[in-house]
Amino acid sequence: MAMSEVEMTKKQQALVAAGKKQKPFASTFKELYLGPIIAFILFLSLWQMIPSVLGLPHYILPKPTDVWEATVSDWSLLQEAIRITIFESVIGFFLSAVIGIGVSVLLASSKILERSIYPYAIILQTIPVVAVAPIVVIWFGAGFNSIVVISFLIGFFPVISNTLMGLNSVDKSMDELFTLYNASKWQRMWKLRIPAAMPYMMAGLKISCTLSIVGAIVGEYVAGIGGGNGGLGYAITVAAIQVKTSFLFSCGIAAAILGISFYLLVSLFSKMMLGSWHESAMKSDK
Amino acid sequence: MHIEVQPSHTYDVSRYNILKTSLLKTLLEGANDVIIKKNHAVYFRNVSKIYNTGTVALNHFDFPVEEGEFISFLGPSGCGKSTALRMVAGLGTPTSGEVTVYGEPPEELIKNTNDIAFVFQDANLLPWRSVLDNVLLPLELRGGNKKENKQAAISVLEMVGLKDHLTSYPRQLSGGMKMRVSIARALAARPKLLLMDEPFAALDEITRQTLQMELLDIWKKEKMTVLFVTHNVYEAVFLSSKIAVMSARPGRLSSVIDVNLPYPRELGMRTHPAFSDYVDRASASLENDEKRKETV
Ligand SMILES: Nc1ncnc2c1ncn2[C@@H]1O[C@H](COP(=O)(O)OP(=O)(O)OP(=O)(O)O)[C@@H](O)[C@H]1O
Ligand SMILES: [Mg+2]
Repeated sequence: MAMSEVEMTKKQQALVAAGKKQKPFASTFKELYLGPIIAFILFLSLWQMIPSVLGLPHYILPKPTDVWEATVSDWSLLQEAIRITIFESVIGFFLSAVIGIGVSVLLASSKILERSIYPYAIILQTIPVVAVAPIVVIWFGAGFNSIVVISFLIGFFPVISNTLMGLNSVDKSMDELFTLYNASKWQRMWKLRIPAAMPYMMAGLKISCTLSIVGAIVGEYVAGIGGGNGGLGYAITVAAIQVKTSFLFSCGIAAAILGISFYLLVSLFSKMMLGSWHESAMKSDK
Repeated sequence: MHIEVQPSHTYDVSRYNILKTSLLKTLLEGANDVIIKKNHAVYFRNVSKIYNTGTVALNHFDFPVEEGEFISFLGPSGCGKSTALRMVAGLGTPTSGEVTVYGEPPEELIKNTNDIAFVFQDANLLPWRSVLDNVLLPLELRGGNKKENKQAAISVLEMVGLKDHLTSYPRQLSGGMKMRVSIARALAARPKLLLMDEPFAALDEITRQTLQMELLDIWKKEKMTVLFVTHNVYEAVFLSSKIAVMSARPGRLSSVIDVNLPYPRELGMRTHPAFSDYVDRASASLENDEKRKETV
């Protein structure tokens, strides 16, 4: 019987699927993590060998063990720098998120405003913020304030352009539904456009969070520390002048880890915000 | 006595019918000042719609819909069914002619009342809202007491058999369930006129039949007027009290078929000879148009 055959295969498929889900930990470990771990170990060993084989001095290419030693011996310095960079970039990111979303909502609430200002938002986005950083320093002085402003500026435009795109991406028939019930402009904004823009906003925030760390580090190159304590940018400048290459590597790795952690944190937040409905957030839990 | 008759360019059966029934009504009621349009839920008067692309979507469309009727707009793709329906909801304006709903322009009506509801082809639910919150939306937008709104929403969800899914999200529902939520949302604000644009087109046959039966139940219970767009002849005959057959390029009314099958209608009716007769008539009417187009 064709019918029951079909059902049988369906059941079998279901069984197979269930079997896949309940895989023991050992095999998921093998599939997912073993490869990257082996690659990492190989990479470290290769790195460890190359300077000895080629006879490179540690100030050109330090070995992983040199980097580790530098990290441990200057740990208090590094830790303080990381703390300050986190502080600066979190404030910068927070400002770019709040101001970016706020300005977008305001712009999108008026067609005239948006039409006249949106093109400039796009153009401004293409200006490399590093190029205007010295102006920021003239206006906000050396040190903390300028660093935060630079970090903010660099993260601001991705938020604005993504949010604006999202606010204007509302499905036509959903929009008509709101027309049919005579929704006011702000009802439409709060109950339709902002929720519909959520995935776009989150994408913008994910871009801007890593940029805000770039902003904080670059900001310190340009704005200095103005008498306060220095962050990673300052630590990097000093280490470079003193040719402490091993410590430079420590700083670079720390900055990378910082960027990744910040990104993961914002991703987690975005998943929480979108969790109940948006597909791109759902893909991973299928 | 006030009867609106516009000069017609061509001889048109439906227009003649309107005139006949209007006259009859006025004579029977013996009233002097009966304004005929007050008796109609919807009135298309010589409506034409030309999109700015130059497409003539509707051409001199004339059609009255009496209160309490279940009308299907039946026609091939592109004949202007959606265009006509959207105008009734105030989501588009005629290029010439006028559409009135309960004697008023629909734009006015949707500003002040919940009389018109629209069910879209894809359920069109807000993915970030739960089933209950989706149904609450129209009530929320109109303001009003939160507790009462919630009660109203729950009672319509009960009516469509979704009382156990209040907290589910749209992505967790099947196509048929989504459509039920969409219908519940339309009913939540207690509309007098329900507009449906191919609501069941994307569903499988069995789900469609179930929903058709439920829709007829609700229509009877709520004493609404329903305008239902479809290109499925069987669906049109099964549901409607009257079918407006339309033809394309340019979109116009080609004939009106009164379906005198008794309500409540049962699924078994589909094999009844009278049912087949209506299906034949509607199909013939559709085919005639195709032929006429080919000879032109
Ligand atoms: N916004 C628009 N701009 C330009 N042309 C349009 C627009 N909407 C519809 N049309 C055109 O008008 C004609 C009628 O469209 P309409 O959507 O009313 O047809 P329909 O009968 O609902 O068709 P279907 O059964 O495919 O939904 C079509 O030729 C279509 O291409
Ligand atoms: Mg259509």
